[in-house]
Amino acid sequence: MPQIQFTADSQREGNLQMGSLAKAKRLTKWQLGRNREYRMLKFCTTLTGFLLGVALLLLLLQPSDQVWSFRNLSFSNLAFTFVLSLATCWRVRGEVIRENDLSRLSRNLGLVFVILGLFGNFFLQLAGFYLLDRHHRLECQLAIYAFVANWMVFLISLLNLFKEYVSNQFFLGLSLNLAMAIILLVMVLLTSSNCMYQTERIHPLLFVAALVTLAMTLSGNLFALMASLVIISKYRRPESEIEPQWIEVISRLFRNNMCMIGLLYVTFLIIMSILSKFTFEPSLAEENNYLALFIKPCLEYPFGTDSFGRDIFTRVVLGAQISLVVGFWSTMIPALAGGLLGAMAGYFGGRFDNITMRILDILYAVPGMLLAITVVAAFGTSTFNLVMALSLSGIPGYARIVRGSVLTVANNEFVEAAKACGAKNLRIITKHIIPNALAPVIVTMTMGIGTAVLSTSALSYLGLGVEPHVPEWGNILKIGSAYLEQQPYLAVIPGVAIILILLAFNFFGDGLRDALDPKLK
Amino acid sequence: MKHTRIGQLLLSVFLLSALLLTSACGQVKTKDQVEKQNEPAKVESSSPDTESTKQDAEADKAKADAEKTEKHDPVKIRLLAMSYFEKDLNVVRDMLAKAGFEPEVIIQPDYSSWASQVESGNYDLSLGGWSTVTGNPDYAVRSLFRSDGDYNIGINDPEVDKLIDQAASETPEQYQTTYKQLEDLLVTDQAYIVPFYSGYLITAVNKDIVKPESIYLEGEEAGSWNRVRYVNDEDNATRAYTISQQLSDLTSLDPIKANDGSINLLNSNLYVRLVNLTRDDKVVPSSSLSYNFAISEDRCKFYFLLRDDIHFARLDKGEAVDTGDLVGGEDVVFSLHRAMNKNSVPDHRTYTLYSQIKDVTQVTDLAVLDSKTADGRTVGEVFADKAPGKIDKLTDKNDQVDNQKGVYQVVCVETNEAFPQILNFLAHQSAGIVSKKQVEKMNTFKVEEYDREKDIAYGDSRTIAEGDHYDNQLMASGPYLLVMKDDYKVDFVKNPHFMPGTECEPMIDKVTVRFIADADSALSALRNDELYYGSVPPEKLDIVEKEAKFEVSKHPDNSCSYGAFNIKNSAFSDVNLRKAVLYAIDQDAFISVYNGLKRKCYSTVTPLVDTGNELVADAAKVSEYLDKYYAEKK
Repeated sequence: MPQIQFTADSQREGNLQMGSLAKAKRLTKWQLGRNREYRMLKFCTTLTGFLLGVALLLLLLQPSDQVWSFRNLSFSNLAFTFVLSLATCWRVRGEVIRENDLSRLSRNLGLVFVILGLFGNFFLQLAGFYLLDRHHRLECQLAIYAFVANWMVFLISLLNLFKEYVSNQFFLGLSLNLAMAIILLVMVLLTSSNCMYQTERIHPLLFVAALVTLAMTLSGNLFALMASLVIISKYRRPESEIEPQWIEVISRLFRNNMCMIGLLYVTFLIIMSILSKFTFEPSLAEENNYLALFIKPCLEYPFGTDSFGRDIFTRVVLGAQISLVVGFWSTMIPALAGGLLGAMAGYFGGRFDNITMRILDILYAVPGMLLAITVVAAFGTSTFNLVMALSLSGIPGYARIVRGSVLTVANNEFVEAAKACGAKNLRIITKHIIPNALAPVIVTMTMGIGTAVLSTSALSYLGLGVEPHVPEWGNILKIGSAYLEQQPYLAVIPGVAIILILLAFNFFGDGLRDALDPKLK
Repeated sequence: MKHTRIGQLLLSVFLLSALLLTSACGQVKTKDQVEKQNEPAKVESSSPDTESTKQDAEADKAKADAEKTEKHDPVKIRLLAMSYFEKDLNVVRDMLAKAGFEPEVIIQPDYSSWASQVESGNYDLSLGGWSTVTGNPDYAVRSLFRSDGDYNIGINDPEVDKLIDQAASETPEQYQTTYKQLEDLLVTDQAYIVPFYSGYLITAVNKDIVKPESIYLEGEEAGSWNRVRYVNDEDNATRAYTISQQLSDLTSLDPIKANDGSINLLNSNLYVRLVNLTRDDKVVPSSSLSYNFAISEDRCKFYFLLRDDIHFARLDKGEAVDTGDLVGGEDVVFSLHRAMNKNSVPDHRTYTLYSQIKDVTQVTDLAVLDSKTADGRTVGEVFADKAPGKIDKLTDKNDQVDNQKGVYQVVCVETNEAFPQILNFLAHQSAGIVSKKQVEKMNTFKVEEYDREKDIAYGDSRTIAEGDHYDNQLMASGPYLLVMKDDYKVDFVKNPHFMPGTECEPMIDKVTVRFIADADSALSALRNDELYYGSVPPEKLDIVEKEAKFEVSKHPDNSCSYGAFNIKNSAFSDVNLRKAVLYAIDQDAFISVYNGLKRKCYSTVTPLVDTGNELVADAAKVSEYLDKYYAEKK
């Protein structure tokens, strides 16, 4: 990977040449901006500071009675890591300005962050890994994210240990989770050291490790999937100078920290919703327990219990499943249906285009939410009906986007060339048009999942989404909203969950759009 | 080299922490382990008993039964409810799921869609509630359970009908056993209904503005506005007494043409009655048209001594004016005759309440004062307790009445057979006294030819609604006269001649009833001083109690929430299946979910009559009846 290396001399020369202080400042800024360790550290410190502020506010609102309470301990832990990261950040800043590289001590401080991160501060763990990783290989970064996402799920599942009892598959799930975390950590170590990259072709051992990691995709770890694909692709084509386009897109994603955090959160939710089948006990979320009504957040019930004595923590975690499943399908179905219609309309044009698009315009004129409410009210409440209701109103939007981009692509010279060569319609559509028109659809879909999750919750809130006992975020919010004054956390927590997933998808969608945009290469 | 050392360090720290965590895991039990641990504990706890062997055997049998039932597919049960009852629905669903049923939930957003589902029979158990507004047990069972009741829930059992009729003619001491028999039949033997809970009426008064003791009257009538007093007397002229109600579509302001939540409160203040009910459902004459009432020895005749200080009020240019017409015996006889006659008005909604009345007459013969009452005194003696002076003469003409000179009016209500509970019905808003003159002037159409679009009947809600149709012809016999209704509220002004000089005289000039459909919004309005008195949902009681400005009252109400089976066309026409559901219901669950603000009940009668029945959840009985069901199915 090409690296621009500045020496201290060249920097000083540059300073002299530019002459003015303002220019020097701008150069420093540019230099700091180029250093990914510093950027990540600064970003994560800011986030930690923000979290610290929120924690402080909560602590002031509800001071803890005991000095050694869990709340006080975690707050002081957060404060300590914040101060530490602030100091490190300052040190790294100086080093980058002076030498444009980090000293060994600064890099080793990363280890402290990683270890501290094992107990919950994932942002600083990320920054710590960045400090330790000196080669900046794409697969290593992906493996880092994969590990962090996995470890987040592990730690959160561990909270179940405080419960009266855990699900029957809890230890199976936990061991699986731990095993995956170990493998991913080994992957991080392998890809960050030079021992696997001594020869022209990367070491076969790494290739085998990549295959193992690939199997981990089953747990929903998108980063593990990407990391192993990158390694496999590098292994298969050792000499090729030009990287495949998709690898380039991934590496461009890393330019945007918010996008990566978004993707990290989404991946975390996917892993969580898959592994929670093992590690979380659904009866705690669905069955009423009249002995445990309105328990305030504590270790056994981290988010408290609701008016029926159900554990909000388990409900929120299991709610991610439904939200993601509904979100995924109610984006996928309209994207496929609308995409197909739009592609045909755009490619064939003429009367077919006109008729299809006018019919879709009629559908477009019906307010989406109203249509969904009607469908659910008519056919009853179930997850399938919910997906159908939300999908129906999404079709015209995708059809328009795909038709638009197909129209631009279809008039390009290479399509004409393909036609001149005698290629069939099907081949042109699949080989030339779809790959080139896909980018805007992917971006819309990413954003669309967030909106679909929101719509699901909105419908549940109105009592139309799923059955009332089913843990779904809108449902939890609805029950909590009656107790906004006495037990505000009952409504705030599912509300925050909805906000976060929407934000995550939006940040990721934004980053993806930038990464896919050819002009921003 | 350095780098690999860091890696080793990292890995070892990682593994060490993982090891620590795994050791922590050793302390935790899985669900199965906990369940296994709990089971033998139960047996152990029962073993020290003297009958231990028997109990063990029973427990084993129950367990064996439970295993047997597991072989069958779980029975599906469709639960139907309005979204208003979602909380109850959740509790019932949870209990039935735990008892081994497979519940499916059908939620309908409003009453009409719920009713249409009930009509189409697309349910197994429908959740509902009943509130006995008249405060007598007959009303609590007649409409719901008698085969010809107006709100019959599908029960057609001659035995039930017989018991209802028998209890109706009995005194409270006698009917206690009859209603117990009825409950035993309805719930214990047949399980036609599954009782859930009865509740409390929780209300709050803003005591910075209103004197709480003027609303929570001890031993006197409830719900009238004429007794309400402000803390500051200066407020009487300037501040309208503001309260709220849920429904904004008023059915009719003619008392006999409606019986629902939209007008109950309004009509009971618009029209005076012969008697009133206290909060404890005792029949009292306070604030009513009668000084006192007496019951004949055979409990078939009910005498009322009428007051002469209530005049009808009507609206003139937005102001209430005294018509000078006495609310007298002629109006009483007229009002009650039309109340009991099904064909007196189109859309008569309340005649069933008065089906027991034989006749209503004015008494002019002073001899009646010497007749005996049930408790051995004479009617005259009972009247003398409350009458302002000696009764010298009785008249049947309104314009001859003069209590000061000893000229009184007495009305006699006669029932077909002994039926003391008729007094409760006479305290119902539909027994309100209307002006004979005014109603006869307005209702000139023939009832059978009534056309809703063309003919304007007395009390038509269109005539008081803001807009083109507005033509307020109401004649108030009660303390307040309705002025106008718009989409948000309905305004009242006080009757200028309602018991002047007595403690029942209305003092506050204006009353406003706002329409607030949502209970939480109504509570917010109450807390923002927009309302002065209102009800409090059980979930919010603790917040309201914390506020110093409220005087909160918690009073047992006459409601009963229950589930009614679809007896006609569903699997639950089988009595064993119904009983299995009955014993799966744990009423304590409702009580804890509602913050302890619900009470146990066995049927709609329970809040009114202490029958001693109590529903106890019993898992063994559930499996016993399920087994019976499966055995019969084979």
